[in-house]
Amino acid sequence: MDQSRVLLRKRIYRDRHLYLMLAPVILFFLVWHYIPMWGARISFQDVRYIGQNEWVGLKHYRMLFSSPVFGRVFLNTITISAMKIGFFFPLPIVFAFLLNEVRSEGVRRGVQSVVYVPHFLSWVVIAGVFISLLASPDGAVNKVLQFVGIEPIRFMTSTRYIRWVFVVSEAWRSVGWDSILYVAAINSIPQDLYDAAYVDGATRWQQAWHITLASIVPTIITVFILNMGFFMNAGFDQVFNMMNDAVINHVDIIDTYVYRVGLTKGNFSLGTAAGLFKGVIGLFLIFTTDRLSRRVSGEGLW
Amino acid sequence: MRNTPRRSIGQVFLVVFLVVFSLAMAYPIYNQLVLSLTGPRYIAAADGTTLVPRGFTLATYRAALAIPKVYLGIINSVLITAVGLVINVVLTSMGAYVLIKRDLPGRSVFMTFIVITMFFEGGLIPDYFLMRNLGLLDTYWSVILYKAVNPYYLIILMRFFAAVPRSLIEAARIDGYSEVRILFRIVIPVSVAGIATISLFYGVFHWNEYFRAMVYLTSEAKWPLQVVLRELIVSLEKAAFIGGMNYQRMAGAAEIAFKAIKASLIIIAIAPIMVFYPFVLRYFVKGRLQGSVKE
Repeated sequence: MDQSRVLLRKRIYRDRHLYLMLAPVILFFLVWHYIPMWGARISFQDVRYIGQNEWVGLKHYRMLFSSPVFGRVFLNTITISAMKIGFFFPLPIVFAFLLNEVRSEGVRRGVQSVVYVPHFLSWVVIAGVFISLLASPDGAVNKVLQFVGIEPIRFMTSTRYIRWVFVVSEAWRSVGWDSILYVAAINSIPQDLYDAAYVDGATRWQQAWHITLASIVPTIITVFILNMGFFMNAGFDQVFNMMNDAVINHVDIIDTYVYRVGLTKGNFSLGTAAGLFKGVIGLFLIFTTDRLSRRVSGEGLW
Repeated sequence: MRNTPRRSIGQVFLVVFLVVFSLAMAYPIYNQLVLSLTGPRYIAAADGTTLVPRGFTLATYRAALAIPKVYLGIINSVLITAVGLVINVVLTSMGAYVLIKRDLPGRSVFMTFIVITMFFEGGLIPDYFLMRNLGLLDTYWSVILYKAVNPYYLIILMRFFAAVPRSLIEAARIDGYSEVRILFRIVIPVSVAGIATISLFYGVFHWNEYFRAMVYLTSEAKWPLQVVLRELIVSLEKAAFIGGMNYQRMAGAAEIAFKAIKASLIIIAIAPIMVFYPFVLRYFVKGRLQGSVKE
């Protein structure tokens, strides 16, 4: 016992320079991540400008849950996220499959280098591009619609279409980037599996289904769990830059609510309560999906 | 799949489809480029389906760059990105180097401490209060230092550093190299791909950052380009944007060229990324793969 303690002390002394190098990193995490976590306690307090904040228990949470605005915001968040997962999530998988079928290395490289680009653009730029594309009758999409005899639609201010604009712009930005993981997973499938299937007379579709898809299921599950962890985010930057007064009731999500109510209107405690509520649900979702996937497939995140 | 005949009809269809798909993906950006290069006499008639800039001119870029908000925005963005990037990369490298040492006492405690921050955060308002309490509001440091070490990128870099042969590091230790020297003289030089990858990610993060800048920086003179661009796209207050004086002087011309000015700013905001993109393309795919949480 004593000996191991001496040994440990020796190892700590041996690594003293390493601790010195790690110290600023730990300090940054402490300041930028842990102090705000502690700061979130104001959701249980009334903020006083003079003197100590006053503890008020769940007052702000009760206000939050009884507010019809927050109910709508919560529903919007879930709807937009579910639409994105339902309609966008399969796209990178399909894209990776298609890419894998291309024999020409040059074509594959070229396509890949184009479709990765939008991932590196800011949401401000993407919003600007989509507004130009979709907002006015002058935009490219409306020009095409008019050409085939359809009346122009102002997509960005249409309560019917705006959420689909989110799905499409998310797809534009991420279909290439998110396919990288799947492409790599497909590339790591041993060739003999296909050779054996070919000898056994498997058709291309059978190969795609029983070998390619079956082999990348773990990757799909991992990506899905990660997405569930971000489910309550619903894409703040996207919504924030594309929202406008005409559609606000349909697109206002928890994070935009936190910004508007908490920061611009100064209801600090209420805003923090909404943010914390979102964070806790996010944690719950990621642990639940991880559990579920472990039980179903034996594959978890950790 | 990979052993069917080379030239099938299906293959041709697939390639045509993917090429058309890529062109469609690139088109929205291309359209902005065209609008930004269209001459003043033709800009009113130019729209989303204009394929070639008529009356080709760079005048729009000159006009855009003459707006104080815009050139200050570019300077601010470059400053924030450059200083932020150096701090990010140095800190992340130091953290990654220490944390790849498996027998470091307390390593798992430090890792847990860092990983927790990937899944939970205090939120926007506590962040704002922190900035205020640190006296960083309306200073460049507020956006430069904010979350200076990204836990995801730290883990990516750890994967790259872990691939450096242990013997190389041990030999240097025996030769009496200090840990800092080992990191900067040996580990970093042989991990170019890793450093390039996280530099790209951090660089793009800083260059594209607008929200924190909008919240923390109250003086317009400190705004990075993205905040300026956002104001132009979202607020659409043309006179306010271009500035009363300039607006009077440019009068009708400004009105018409507004579409082109907006397009030129979008292109300016994209340009630096496109310049570096080809050089880092081969690295970041690897980085994306290293970034999946699973071992």
